[in-house]
Amino acid sequence: MWERIKNWLEVRIGLDDLVRSQVTDYRVPKNINIFYTLGFVAAIGYLIQVLSGIMLLIHYVPHPDHAFKSVQDIMLKVPFGWLFRQMHVVGSNLMIAAIGLHMLTVFLMGNYKRPRELTWVGGALLLLVTIAFGFSGYLLPWTQLSYWATTVVTSIPTAVPVVGDVVARVLRGGDQVTGTTLSRFFAFHVSVLPPLFLILAGMHVFLIKRIGISATPFGLPAEEKRPWTEYHKKSHADGYPYYPRFFQMDMLMVMVYLALMFFLITVAPNLFFPEEATVPADPFRTPPHVHPEWYLLAPYQMLRIIPNKFLGIIIQLALFLLFLLWPFFDTEKEKNIMKRPMLRVLFLFAFVLWVILMFWGGY
Amino acid sequence: MKRRSFLKGLLAFLGTTTLVSFVYPIFRYLAPPAGTETSKTVVIAKRDIPLGDAREIVFNNVPAIVLNRPGKGLIAVSRVCTHLGCLVQYDAANMRLVCPCHAGIYDLEGNIVSGPPPKPLPKLPLRVEGETIVIG
Repeated sequence: MWERIKNWLEVRIGLDDLVRSQVTDYRVPKNINIFYTLGFVAAIGYLIQVLSGIMLLIHYVPHPDHAFKSVQDIMLKVPFGWLFRQMHVVGSNLMIAAIGLHMLTVFLMGNYKRPRELTWVGGALLLLVTIAFGFSGYLLPWTQLSYWATTVVTSIPTAVPVVGDVVARVLRGGDQVTGTTLSRFFAFHVSVLPPLFLILAGMHVFLIKRIGISATPFGLPAEEKRPWTEYHKKSHADGYPYYPRFFQMDMLMVMVYLALMFFLITVAPNLFFPEEATVPADPFRTPPHVHPEWYLLAPYQMLRIIPNKFLGIIIQLALFLLFLLWPFFDTEKEKNIMKRPMLRVLFLFAFVLWVILMFWGGY
Repeated sequence: MKRRSFLKGLLAFLGTTTLVSFVYPIFRYLAPPAGTETSKTVVIAKRDIPLGDAREIVFNNVPAIVLNRPGKGLIAVSRVCTHLGCLVQYDAANMRLVCPCHAGIYDLEGNIVSGPPPKPLPKLPLRVEGETIVIG
């Protein structure tokens, strides 16, 4: 039966050739390491978010009168609703962590450098879209925490002269966070961001396949230092086949990801549900200590400590553009960060600053 | 057994176990919830349904109708058309129940007069206790 299906597909789409060229004969560099699997892990993380999100959609009601109760019902009444909600919430945080770690390791291995500038830009945009997923999904349970965190974050654009108020009003669909905001965020979360993510992810994978996987800068001659005057696909003819060798590494890390997810769900089920996340939204009472999720704490704290709000936003915008377009600023050919003391110091400074701001923002 | 075969078998076992362990939660999550408790009876005052008139009710989550037929007395039948589930309406002028979807026509006992319905409308238990009508 299986053979007949394979033959049927073979005659029509050349299945053998497809598997050979894309999987078994597809070579990866010999000095590849475990960190190269993080992109695949993030893709699986996205798949988990889509599947658990579809499950939640079946019982969730995007209306201010029903949203909180429908989420509570999912957690307490619907059989195994808690499982799919926890997977979605914990998964959203892990996915952002996986993409962040992926970008960090790409940065440290210099793999954003020529000719992979566009791959980096696509990856940075994917991180931005994933954070937008997290931010828009945060409001949907309509809790005190989600309501006021959204109020705070959607107030940030008001610091920009002339257009700031308009931007904030468009985001909220009015002067305050209301049912209109909930409808907007819901539509954005389930129908705008998913196709945007898929388009960017498709471009990202296309570029990786078209340009070829970059070798690590450690232990191999820096052959990419040669003049770059024409398209050249890096095929790693002497490398290892993707399947089974690298595929096993991919699957190992997926298992680590899943193990971490279910460990957190089992051992720390309230990790992402502080007390205010279990109280329905009250537009007439602001709870103390409102702050966004951990991945937005550093920029949030930066805005709080810079006395001029507009200046704070301009600095953040500049930092984001620097991050997005970093391959075009760092044109040094040397990929190995161990041979670039200045970059090492700059990275350490930025990293430590980020961590300090993140913890500071949480208090 | 070779090490490679053992590892392949172990991977297949673990993968299958992982996937199968989700089958029951997904099935339970998607299964329709158990029906909510509803009152076993519906009570209406007799004076609310004059002769030749009808009153629409909901009995155990099913739309139904109580008819006061001239010369034949009270009867309660389901309003759910046995063809494709649309709700029949009382046509007082012609003394019949008409389905608006595919023109199924029933008499006031719920029997098929014409059209595509395959079965009569189910009758509901009804009794009169003094000045009240009790359905159920």
